[in-house]
Amino acid sequence: MKFFETYKKQIFLLLIIFLAALAFFTTGSRGGSGPLGSAAGFIVTPLEHLSSSITSAVGQAISSLTHEQDLAEENEELRAQVALLEEENHRLSLYEEENERLSSLLDLAQKYPAYETTGAYVIAKDPGNWFDVFLIDAGWNKDVMTDMVVMAPEGVIGRITESGPIHSQVLSILDSRSSVSAMSLRTGDLGVVRGDYTLMNDGLCRMEYIDADSEIMTGDEIVTSGLSDIFPAGLTLGYVQEVVTDSNGLTKYAIIAPAVDFKHISSVLVLSDQRLRQEGQTESTLPPSSEDADASSAPQEQGGDDA
Amino acid sequence: MRRCITLFVVLICNLALQSTLLQHIAVMGVVPNTALIIILSMALLRGSTEGAAVGLFAGLLQDVLFGGAIGYYALLGMVSGYLAGKFNKGFYRENYFMPMVLSFIATFLYESCVFLTLILFSGNLDYPYFLTHLILPEMAYNTVFSILVYRILFSVNSAIEEREKAKRRLFGIK
Repeated sequence: MKFFETYKKQIFLLLIIFLAALAFFTTGSRGGSGPLGSAAGFIVTPLEHLSSSITSAVGQAISSLTHEQDLAEENEELRAQVALLEEENHRLSLYEEENERLSSLLDLAQKYPAYETTGAYVIAKDPGNWFDVFLIDAGWNKDVMTDMVVMAPEGVIGRITESGPIHSQVLSILDSRSSVSAMSLRTGDLGVVRGDYTLMNDGLCRMEYIDADSEIMTGDEIVTSGLSDIFPAGLTLGYVQEVVTDSNGLTKYAIIAPAVDFKHISSVLVLSDQRLRQEGQTESTLPPSSEDADASSAPQEQGGDDA
Repeated sequence: MRRCITLFVVLICNLALQSTLLQHIAVMGVVPNTALIIILSMALLRGSTEGAAVGLFAGLLQDVLFGGAIGYYALLGMVSGYLAGKFNKGFYRENYFMPMVLSFIATFLYESCVFLTLILFSGNLDYPYFLTHLILPEMAYNTVFSILVYRILFSVNSAIEEREKAKRRLFGIK
């Protein structure tokens, strides 16, 4: 203790240098959480689980008291919508059957395979104000691994940046460190959906690098393009709210309203067959949506989307 | 030993609350940084060494669970704890003015540091925006919360000190 008191300043300085070096070398992607993160996860996750379930229960009780009337109306509307959708679903399933039959004739693999999902609850949000990161209560115990895609039924939420034994860290698409290769469903224009600090608090993000000639417009649905290693093609990201031409006049950017309500996420789905799919794709640099079998047809397919 | 365990529990509980409950009472999308207030309060009550230790640990917890790089918030927390501890001497503990003023100023410096290191280098130069939309609201929010947090920690600290004193008397140290 005497030693510590006399060399307090030196120890303090050494610690500063050590921490700065540690921060410098651990910046960027960390696969799984280390032993430290796992230990902290084991202690904090149950607590956060408890605390968030209590707060959400209280919040729900309050909102159910205040919105009962709205809920009844909404329920009726939704019922009507369900009936419509069921009918449409029925029709689409016929198309799917036909599609399967035709593509088997053409010997093509399914472009949009059905993904297996794992459900998880959001237990905590980043305590700071700069980033949009949250924790979910599934980790290695439920086969949730780094780089898996996290979704809500409406659309993409983000991806797993770090997984521990019983918790995982999710980077939402609103965070400025996130970028997702995206495509306009109607026109096929490609772009990159990135988080933006100035839009994050309003629950919006930006789609950048859109060609100036593109005919993208307000209301267009934006989906993942499948050009990335992580996100499979065709998942809904959001809808265009506003299109702006960049100051250089060569590209446009669009303000995107995500399909998911980021202020009220309580449970998420993790697409769980990502890892298997990626392992099969590691050697080839093809878009992950296409199997090895249609290697020759994949680039053409993408080119077709561009035009 | 008892002091370490108590502070450990306080920090863990704070992290759990800060990332869950406090998210629901965010004003303008800004959440009070109670971890920083705890660091400042402990530094004021106990001095630089303990302030730095609390800051280091609080930052490390945030780093391993939420951060991108291990050691970043730990470094920030440790330095803020150390510097805040400088005001420990000649400060009247029952006075709430000091923790409030310190929270106000420290929040500004702390969040500006985050901006300078994490945000500026990712190509975003819009400091005025962050100042008005994030840093200033958080300064105000933290100042209000510092009263509550300081009050709690003051009691916790008195309880621990009382115990330590009793122990010293028992074993005849000093």
